[in-house]
Amino acid sequence: MSILSIRDLKVDYATQEGTVQAVDGVSLDVDEGQQVGLIGESGCGKTTLLKAIVQVLPRNGRITAGKIMFKGIDMLQLSKAEMRQLRWREIATIPQASMDSLNPVQRVGSQLMKLLRVRGGYDKRAARRRAADLFDLVGLDTERLMHYPHEFSGGMKQRAVIAMALALEPSLLIADEPVTALDVIVQHQILEVLRELEQELNLTVMLITHDISVVAQVCDSVAVMYAGRIVEQAAAQPFFHAPAHPYSLGLQQAFPNLARPRDELVSIEGYPPDLREPPSGCRFAERCPFVQDSCHDIDPRLELVGDNRLAACLRSGEMETLRLQAEDPALWQQVEVAQYFVDQPLPPAPSPKHQGGGDALAGLIEPTASPLESAEEAAYGGISKSPPNALGGDLEGGRVVAPLLEMRDVSKRFKIGGGLAGLLRGDQEQTVYAVNNISFTLRRGESLGLAGESGCGKSTTGKLLVKLLDASDGEILFDGADLAGMEQDDLLNFRRRSQLMFQNPFEALNPRFTLYRSLTEPLIIHGWKDEEARLQRVIETLDRVNLRPAEVFLDKYPHQLSGGQLQRVVLARALVLHPDFLVADEPVSMLDVSVRAGILNTTRRLARELGLATVYISHDLSLLQYTCDRIAIMYLGEIVEIGPSSEVINNPQHPYTKALIAAVPVPDPTIENPPLRIQEGIPRPTEQFIGCPFAQRCPDVMEACIDIRPPAITDEYSHMAQCHLYGQHRDSPKLKPGAEVTSGNTR
Amino acid sequence: MQQEAMVREGPPGKTTAQFRQGSALRQLWETNLEVFQRDKMALFGLCIFAVFALVALLAPLIAPNDPLTPLKNADGDWIKDALPYWLAEPGEDEAEGYTNEFFLGTTNIGRDIFSQLIHGSRSALLVGFSAAAAVAVIGTIVGLLAGYYGGWVDTVLMRAADVAFGIPFIPFIIVIAAFFDPSIWNVVLAMAVLLWRDTGRVIRSQVLVIKEQAFVSAARVSGASDLRIIFVYIAPSILPLSFLYGSFAIAWAILTEASVSFLGFSDPNTISWGFMLQDAFLSLALTRGAFYWIIPPGLCIMLTVMAGFFIGRGYEEVLFPRLRRM
Amino acid sequence: MNRGIAYYILGRFLQSLMVLWIIVTLLFLLFRLAPSNPLASYIDTTFTKEQEAALLARFGLDKPLGEQYIIYLLNLARFELGDTFSYSGKSVLDILSADLPNTIYLTLSSLLVAYAVGVLGGIAMAALRGSLFERVGTTFTLMTRAAPTFWVGMLLLSFFAFQWKLLPSAGIGPAVVRYRWETEWDKLMSPVFWRHMILPTFTLALYLHGLPLLLMRSNMLEVLDQDYVTMSRLAGYSEWRVMIHTAARNAMLPVLTALTLGIGYSIGGNVVIENVFSWPGLGRTLVRAVQQADYPLAQGAFFLIALIIVFMNFIADILYSLLDPRVGASAQAQVS
Repeated sequence: MSILSIRDLKVDYATQEGTVQAVDGVSLDVDEGQQVGLIGESGCGKTTLLKAIVQVLPRNGRITAGKIMFKGIDMLQLSKAEMRQLRWREIATIPQASMDSLNPVQRVGSQLMKLLRVRGGYDKRAARRRAADLFDLVGLDTERLMHYPHEFSGGMKQRAVIAMALALEPSLLIADEPVTALDVIVQHQILEVLRELEQELNLTVMLITHDISVVAQVCDSVAVMYAGRIVEQAAAQPFFHAPAHPYSLGLQQAFPNLARPRDELVSIEGYPPDLREPPSGCRFAERCPFVQDSCHDIDPRLELVGDNRLAACLRSGEMETLRLQAEDPALWQQVEVAQYFVDQPLPPAPSPKHQGGGDALAGLIEPTASPLESAEEAAYGGISKSPPNALGGDLEGGRVVAPLLEMRDVSKRFKIGGGLAGLLRGDQEQTVYAVNNISFTLRRGESLGLAGESGCGKSTTGKLLVKLLDASDGEILFDGADLAGMEQDDLLNFRRRSQLMFQNPFEALNPRFTLYRSLTEPLIIHGWKDEEARLQRVIETLDRVNLRPAEVFLDKYPHQLSGGQLQRVVLARALVLHPDFLVADEPVSMLDVSVRAGILNTTRRLARELGLATVYISHDLSLLQYTCDRIAIMYLGEIVEIGPSSEVINNPQHPYTKALIAAVPVPDPTIENPPLRIQEGIPRPTEQFIGCPFAQRCPDVMEACIDIRPPAITDEYSHMAQCHLYGQHRDSPKLKPGAEVTSGNTR
Repeated sequence: MQQEAMVREGPPGKTTAQFRQGSALRQLWETNLEVFQRDKMALFGLCIFAVFALVALLAPLIAPNDPLTPLKNADGDWIKDALPYWLAEPGEDEAEGYTNEFFLGTTNIGRDIFSQLIHGSRSALLVGFSAAAAVAVIGTIVGLLAGYYGGWVDTVLMRAADVAFGIPFIPFIIVIAAFFDPSIWNVVLAMAVLLWRDTGRVIRSQVLVIKEQAFVSAARVSGASDLRIIFVYIAPSILPLSFLYGSFAIAWAILTEASVSFLGFSDPNTISWGFMLQDAFLSLALTRGAFYWIIPPGLCIMLTVMAGFFIGRGYEEVLFPRLRRM
Repeated sequence: MNRGIAYYILGRFLQSLMVLWIIVTLLFLLFRLAPSNPLASYIDTTFTKEQEAALLARFGLDKPLGEQYIIYLLNLARFELGDTFSYSGKSVLDILSADLPNTIYLTLSSLLVAYAVGVLGGIAMAALRGSLFERVGTTFTLMTRAAPTFWVGMLLLSFFAFQWKLLPSAGIGPAVVRYRWETEWDKLMSPVFWRHMILPTFTLALYLHGLPLLLMRSNMLEVLDQDYVTMSRLAGYSEWRVMIHTAARNAMLPVLTALTLGIGYSIGGNVVIENVFSWPGLGRTLVRAVQQADYPLAQGAFFLIALIIVFMNFIADILYSLLDPRVGASAQAQVS
């Protein structure tokens, strides 16, 4: 029996540029006790659908057609007051950015109690009791009721919002991106809470997200939205094993998967159609690798294609074969190039890279390695395959190759507050130990990933590497020269050779500069006087990062481009000086899933072509596994484990690494993650530890961890972990995690 | 989405002219243009200033009489307290022996009010614009230095701002006026010394925001020098804010000048609207209900001050569209 | 109150002391290094050299500048502001302590009216954004802020006091009535005093209401955009509850700070209005003292006004840290 039933719903937004059909004929049923995951990239209309259901559309939004039945009531016929009564009692909504959904100047408990009393009719005592119960239910300490939101961590706020949503025992819970922007461990725990609640309370849930692995974790059925329509609907298991729509196929293969790593991820090139004038045929046709002529004319309907599953594709009958073909990422890239050829004539572009993987489609493209690539291979001798030394210098072909970059016991401390000004402002002085004694080397052409929860010091390390910050202690050697002593010409030369790629492409470019201006700035700074030469270089670089034809982009301003295009421009700016070394700080975390792979693939390809040494900084281990030769795991400013990627991921040594890997959601409902054995909550980095910094959270903590520095143990694969479990103190008595380790190990 | 479509549809080839330009000055000009194109009230404010500026420039030509000289009639008597001709009963003036030439009448010692009003625009605009320029320039420089360099530069400048915030403004001008010869420049001086505080603080916080933005870090990573970062990256984003505060400072300066003149601390040989009102107040124009004397100078002050407000709000709307979003 | 807030308050207090010290030092320099002799108006040409010297000695002006400065600081710290030049025999403190209450009454009553009207008006305008009411209201408020207060006061005077003779035109009451006020309490209980206060209060309130109104309006618009307001709507609270309990409550915080700051600045800024209405307050005394070259009095009045402003700035900071739980913890939150 479906609790929520949507029929042919259409929602319009009136904008200055015309009417946008944000939701265009969506039909969806949610059964009682079912957990539906609604997937789609940004702008596909999933949040609009939610807003339409609870009728909180912005002023310019309007429901133009369709029906929303909730428990047999036609919701569109309800008065405003009746609708208001329904909200939260029957349908509770966890809005996007629910981290900011708590009133900052009210105690969390009072907000919860206010809700219970005003909306639930509880009296004061009952409300207090219920509030405590709810906090219990979502795993929050009841003492926390007296705290203000700013005293909560991100995960705790999310739990509190879930508690509020459940307060009035709604029949349906709609959660919009409930774990986006949370650290993996927190994310894992929130999903755990949701999963437990689903079972305990038999909740009906509609979960809206762009992340299919989240859906795989908590949902039993899936609906995929694209350009205002639902293109596929199925139970979770069959969906993840055999998607029935090309878009779902692409999405699935665009996700890096720790359990099943692939050589090349799929990038769904192109853009969703303009919803002011949607195409008359299939809306995905323009980006679909399996497009036929008829796709452009016939608008496919959402039809039954099998046992209880719906899809909207003209070729749904041939899905079996298409699925096989889709395995090849080159197939998806073919679309990109082909599409540009359709749009405008292009100078002959380098043929798409084809690196190993399925040969099922060998006939479709020519697997030619470009001359550059072969030269590259020769010069660096397949570096990515040989197990590199984790810490020391490199022996290669019998001679020592000096590393390009070397960190030697580097530390970075920040002082905050303090001083006369701080005293006057009333701040107490504190020292933040952001990076503590880290060492590693990086050779030309090699890529290293830095991973860890936010606050672990990985971004600070990135800034040290490009001298946006200066180290407090230790040496950073670039081609043998210490960064600390660099001045004038040496510094300028270093600036030319090292570059940084930023997390947020929307902020990384000066909004007042045209792209040409932004890209030509580095050249001007480095004394390129000849305007023609500069233009030449800029065009060449834009072309390299697949922004073609480059001339079109020169006079554009950043706000005219999409996130994916912007990130390519950011990459182009980093490469325009032909550097030797690139730091990429969370290069795709702000981007839509469908374009992430494109950026990663381009960056990876160019790093190989140009022999770049690359440091990737990311919280996402699956991404690092995909892009990096080696991975370093950081915790509270220290590298606790470092080694070849496959070693670190498949054979983790440090308990923290194990926890991080266990927390990564896998886009496959059949794969059960190992249980996560640590709690969220990185301690504040304002203290120095005598023993192991991870002791407070470590599930395997021993007595030695409290006051003895853990040794760095390296195995034959140059895989280093800094942990007592593998050193001489491995038989030290076990402690009960958490409780006994609260203090005593700080300096 | 719409923008993506634009990019894809953009005609390739037509790219040479536009993208090479884009200097800081040009952007600034475009921002200013945008303010007055988008906000009709700001344009209205600009027109008010333009009209008053014209009047101030041509004051000797427009004003029928000298504003300071008491006027005599043909018989050699002072023309005291003459009514505006449009208020006087027909024949009344002639009976008194007055000519009916006074658009706004005369003061109690026979000065032409209309001529005073015309000349008053000179001191208002002079004070308004020079004080605003001083406030905007000092505030911008302080804000840029404090925000960009931080450390002790920031500490010293911001403590100075705290001190400026602790000094009462009007009393300060009065004290200044007591020690220096009465002059309209006292107001400009006092404003320059004290009122940079708001501009300085706001610009500093804005610099702190921009300084941390990734595109500035990107410039630094590319090897841009401090000066280049300040002038090419930060200043163009800051200057509209200086204009915003400058426009408001014009308004405050005109109001302050009027207040100080009203209190009697202005140069008695320079006509200003505040001085006219003081004159009217002290000669008991209120009790006589001489509205033709009291209302016009006040209206002129109000109009010019509002012009400053309108322009300031126009900048606000372009810079902080969130505030006004419907 | 936790330790962080206590530290914050202590720090702010020290900072305020330092600001005050710099201000009084500037004041000292201004008065002592001014081009004209501080006793110029006091000493007339008939004075002999000896008389002049005696006079200088009486006011301590014969000592070296450094010593004068120390004495000056010590005197200020003990609140000894010296004797006036122009009111023979009266100390500066006598005059100022008679003036201060009047200034405070006027300031508080006008701010009360202004903020009550401003806050309610700001909420109404935010709620009715885009309506005719909002456009007319905003324009009116802008006009009241652009019109010079003394001019508005003059217009009100000429109508209410002179044309219609409804309200008194100047002062705080006729001498016969004032004579009977032995304490401040008597004054406050007197309807005559309140009648005299109506016009100046109204004039000031008309000017002062603009700031809280525009501030409240823009704060409301900003707060209404916040996620927690969206959340209240999603939770099914009534629109009234969303506007008043959630949005207005949060939007009020900066307005309360502005009110606290406003008390300080109004006491310094009432100068003009006190002169229009011959209100016997600090501002009128300051103007008179400067006109009569009564330096000790001018200096004392200026010092008192600055003291009040610095103190209210201090209170505003503290108030904000107490009202907004985030501020007290800001030092902690910076770590990340």
